[in-house]
Amino acid sequence: MKWRISFAAALLLCVASLATAGPKGTVPRAGADRYTTHTIRDGVGIGIVLLSPEKARKEFVSDVNRCCVVAEIALYPAKDKPLDVSINDFVLRVRNPEASAKPASAKVVAARLQKNAASDRDITVSPTAGVGYESAGYDPVTGTRTGSGVTRSAGVMVGIGGGPKPASTDKDRAVMETELSEKALPEGMTSTPVAGYVYFPVARKKNASLQLQYTLNGNTVVLSLP
Amino acid sequence: MNTGPGTKDGNRQGPKFSAEATFPAGVESERMGVSMRNPALCLATLFLSSALCLTLRAQTNESTPQPANQSRSDASASQQQSPELDSAKPSDQAEGKKSLKESEDSGDKGKTHLRLGTVWLGAAYSHYHGPYYPYGPYGFYPGDWVYASLWHPIWSPYPYYPAGYFDHNDGRGEIRLTADPKMAEVYIDGAYAGTADRLKSMWLDPGAYDLTVSASDRESFHQRVYVLSGKSLKITAKLNADSSSKEKL
Repeated sequence: MKWRISFAAALLLCVASLATAGPKGTVPRAGADRYTTHTIRDGVGIGIVLLSPEKARKEFVSDVNRCCVVAEIALYPAKDKPLDVSINDFVLRVRNPEASAKPASAKVVAARLQKNAASDRDITVSPTAGVGYESAGYDPVTGTRTGSGVTRSAGVMVGIGGGPKPASTDKDRAVMETELSEKALPEGMTSTPVAGYVYFPVARKKNASLQLQYTLNGNTVVLSLP
Repeated sequence: MNTGPGTKDGNRQGPKFSAEATFPAGVESERMGVSMRNPALCLATLFLSSALCLTLRAQTNESTPQPANQSRSDASASQQQSPELDSAKPSDQAEGKKSLKESEDSGDKGKTHLRLGTVWLGAAYSHYHGPYYPYGPYGFYPGDWVYASLWHPIWSPYPYYPAGYFDHNDGRGEIRLTADPKMAEVYIDGAYAGTADRLKSMWLDPGAYDLTVSASDRESFHQRVYVLSGKSLKITAKLNADSSSKEKL
């Protein structure tokens, strides 16, 4: 009886793991030194690349530039020493003006992006042109004779607002959440290198320098981001 | 050239004028004058609409807030508040400024999108001459729906998408696919969608899809794509020659 229960539990676990399986994060590079900013502390390699707005636009269908600064972070655990990865161990510090932010979850970022998209304004310009043929006769209003011939017309319609905004529906929010979570830095215990994106809800400013703080085994590692 | 007596534009020359000469005799001169000016009016209207587009776009770009003075004052204030941050190298700061130069437009405020709507052109004439169409529209018979349900990719042993499945519809997003070779087969979530040359523009409901493009003797192209309503996603799938087939040769 016991083995049946344990078999059923194992089967359930397998099914659950298969159901939640999916791509997570990005592929880690060969080493931490392959990233723009990198360091090694207590045998743990840390590599970071701050995504430029152009790069973020290419990497994501979701318009993450509207709410966040995105960083690709890779962690290389020490040999035979698993590492507990959590995005809450990261803090982004911005200077000029002074600000700091902890990473936001994919769910929160998707909700903010949906809200931003819904507040957009749409202006649609529709030029029109037409051609017709008019037969000869008398004008019913003035009684004067009108000639036959080709008539031409042109105009422009300008529409402001109305209609659903792009990426503003609940379905879109779910898709954005899926994309952001699938590309995010995987969390949990790991003994192999992991990499992924981390979203900091900070507005980008000109002339702002950024620093990333990472708490590793109680010690703080500060990395200046170019 | 028959322009009628007293035509105001009678002194005009050239092929444009001769085109109007086909009007029957007796057409009033003022009428002729108006028809001569209409193309110019059409062009002027189109130019005006283009100018309006450009002006609005320029205003949209200018509307982005750029508080340069404020950021400077904030910078001086923060220098006093946080001296520990001065450890960053000056060169790093300069590079940081450079990389963030074009990122000022981010923020939570709503944007203004200017887009060109439908351009209407043309004229139509229709005349139906024949007997009554004896059948109802599609979906009139219950069998239509049964038949249509069998077309869904889930229910077929060799799943594929029916014709018209990727047509434009409100609430959908677009995938613009460019593939090399053009006759490569396209699969979405494992179901056959068609050849790449016929699927340059695919409209799909919002969602995450697994896109596969494959051709014989070529390496397959796989990508996870995310479709959002009203958004367009451009994908280029260049299939390299299969290394295993090269070895055979």
